[in-house]
Amino acid sequence: MSTPPDDRHPDPEALAAASRTPVYKPVRRVPAEQSAVNRKEPDPGLGHALIPKERYTSAAFAQLEWERMWTKVWLLGGHLSDLREAGDYISTEIGRESVLLVKQQDGAVRAFYNVCRHRGNRLRPSGVSSAESFKCQYHHWEYHLDGSFKRIPDLDTFPQGAPECRGLRELRCEVWNGFAWFSLDPEAMPLLEYLGPVAEHLAPYHFHKMALKKDVTVEWDCNWKTSVDAFNESYHVQGIHPQLMWYLHDLDLQIDCYERHNRYLIPFGTLSPRVRTPNTIPEPIKVIMKGAGMDPADYDNPIASIRRDVQQFKRKHGASQGKDYSGLNDDQLTDDYHYTIFPNVQVNTHADDLMLFRQRPHPTNPDKMFYDVWVLELIPDGHEWPERPRHTDFKFGDKSIGLVLDQDAANLPGVQEGMHSAGIDGLWIGAQELRIRHFHKVLEDYLYGPAGSDARGSGGPPTAAA
Amino acid sequence: MDLGLRGKKAIVTGATKGIGRAIIELLAAEGADIGFCARNEDEVAETVVALKQRGVNVVGSSVNVRDAEAYKTWLEATTAALGGCDIFVPNVSAGAGMDSEKNWWRSFEVDVLHTVRGCETLMEALKASGQGAVVIISSTNAIETFGGPMAYNAMKAGLINYAKNLSQFVGRHNVRVNTVCPGPIYFEGGAWEMIKGTNQKFYEATEKAMPNRRFGSPEEVARVVAFLASPAASLITGANVVADNGYTKGVRY
Repeated sequence: MSTPPDDRHPDPEALAAASRTPVYKPVRRVPAEQSAVNRKEPDPGLGHALIPKERYTSAAFAQLEWERMWTKVWLLGGHLSDLREAGDYISTEIGRESVLLVKQQDGAVRAFYNVCRHRGNRLRPSGVSSAESFKCQYHHWEYHLDGSFKRIPDLDTFPQGAPECRGLRELRCEVWNGFAWFSLDPEAMPLLEYLGPVAEHLAPYHFHKMALKKDVTVEWDCNWKTSVDAFNESYHVQGIHPQLMWYLHDLDLQIDCYERHNRYLIPFGTLSPRVRTPNTIPEPIKVIMKGAGMDPADYDNPIASIRRDVQQFKRKHGASQGKDYSGLNDDQLTDDYHYTIFPNVQVNTHADDLMLFRQRPHPTNPDKMFYDVWVLELIPDGHEWPERPRHTDFKFGDKSIGLVLDQDAANLPGVQEGMHSAGIDGLWIGAQELRIRHFHKVLEDYLYGPAGSDARGSGGPPTAAA
Repeated sequence: MDLGLRGKKAIVTGATKGIGRAIIELLAAEGADIGFCARNEDEVAETVVALKQRGVNVVGSSVNVRDAEAYKTWLEATTAALGGCDIFVPNVSAGAGMDSEKNWWRSFEVDVLHTVRGCETLMEALKASGQGAVVIISSTNAIETFGGPMAYNAMKAGLINYAKNLSQFVGRHNVRVNTVCPGPIYFEGGAWEMIKGTNQKFYEATEKAMPNRRFGSPEEVARVVAFLASPAASLITGANVVADNGYTKGVRY
């Protein structure tokens, strides 16, 4: 068998002419001298190598991820609005592990493996609930909220007595800005150190004053990184989300890569330079205006002024609406400050809401993942805290999770299939996708060590591909 | 057939894009002098340059027709600059929307009052023409339900009624008044281009609702308007001409 000779001769000039990035005037941004959060990091030099496709499909690579990464990092457990009273708990899963995050009598949150010390039965199904104690349904071994043994039925029939451990195996657990985090690594660095600059950047957003409005888990037919990659670039807006071109600027992004995490800042409430200015305000931009308290029907300035006018309107009226924007700069009042908190948390941070994605690997199948969507909305001071929506769990296609995410979800299985194909050698990553390259670099550092860069450009993991 | 538009002086509002632009392009191609307005200054300047290549007199200004004084001043200045006014096409619209009660005020001011104020301000000049013609741009939204109980639809309906009454009122001065109801019209930078990008299902359903499965173009509307505005349509007044490519389904007798 031989490859047929390639007699194609694409005209480089014609290709360039057909492919040019639209010319645009950059949006006005708050300069870093006025707001340090806007400071642009120098782009890291990460080369131009292909990203190996095998890491999206290889079970051995997934195992390496588990051993060297998932068990070493900090992982998001849940929102503190689910852990208000002593006994409130969140049961969440990562890989094959299940973890209980439990509100204590003293107000702290502690995390435990959700596994009975007797014969290993899972204590609680995944979800959010409240308990006075944790009693295993198998033989009724029972644990206090702090994980310590409360009752072991017929203990006198165990000649060896109770296990020497005092109860459930505990995990590192810390809270930050309205969220509870845990780590499977007893030696993990403190959470704040792990979050690095992201903790500081997100501090003024009042996540603890935001209420869950959506809590969904969808099983997707793709690797967890296929999903992370999709949300780490805006290059796909024109292809997958054409409607967003009348909502946001998909080219004028500020990309910043930090030690582990990265972000981009996307201007919202403005048009993509890929589309012509329409004669009426696009519906999605109207939603932004209405959210601020403006009436689009009473707006007479050009569409290009809306982003600025919304910022100024919010600045002027935020306090009277019970919303404290004092820690946010003007860009943060309209734009999407989108962070990837390594490895699997992505936050679309806005002044009045938060759209958070948590992407979890399937415990055994690299071609599947769990996609958690949490939408939170700022509850203005003096407003009643709304009832929590029920968590729903389903497979892709069974229900809608909103137009934009449905569009992403519909596309990703095809991308995953491509990772199995001989028709592609790896991912060809451009500058608009710098965050993808950075994310993979951080992953490689976990898997191979910072010095293990030999594996980086060479195609596959050194041992895992075997 | 010569439409008899050569040397006529036409004033068109909202004419840098879409239907308005196609109207002044065609009227200019037929030899009429053009006065027009729009909001965006750069687009007005570009349009003036483009139209002047037709060899006719062209004046354009940036005007917000909601501003009654500024609008009236512009109409008078444009009539003076052209040396009269034979044709008036009020084309600006506030567009669709159900955001708040403000949509009603806005549509009333923009769609209705700008038409009424324009007709009243220009009527003396139109009478003096001897072949005066007003062509009001309405919409099929005025004659069939579409998109919900919007101010846009109601105001566009009001314009048809106004046009018929006005045609009787000024007919003895040889001023004709007609309405055109365009159906869904696709053009670059238009509402349907945005809908195609933001709500593809709705776009496709609308396209399928037209028997020949395509949207109308501004040029096709402009030809209807140019005919009604021309002395060639001397017998037609008080008419509402539906130019919708078969989009509406009601039977009208």
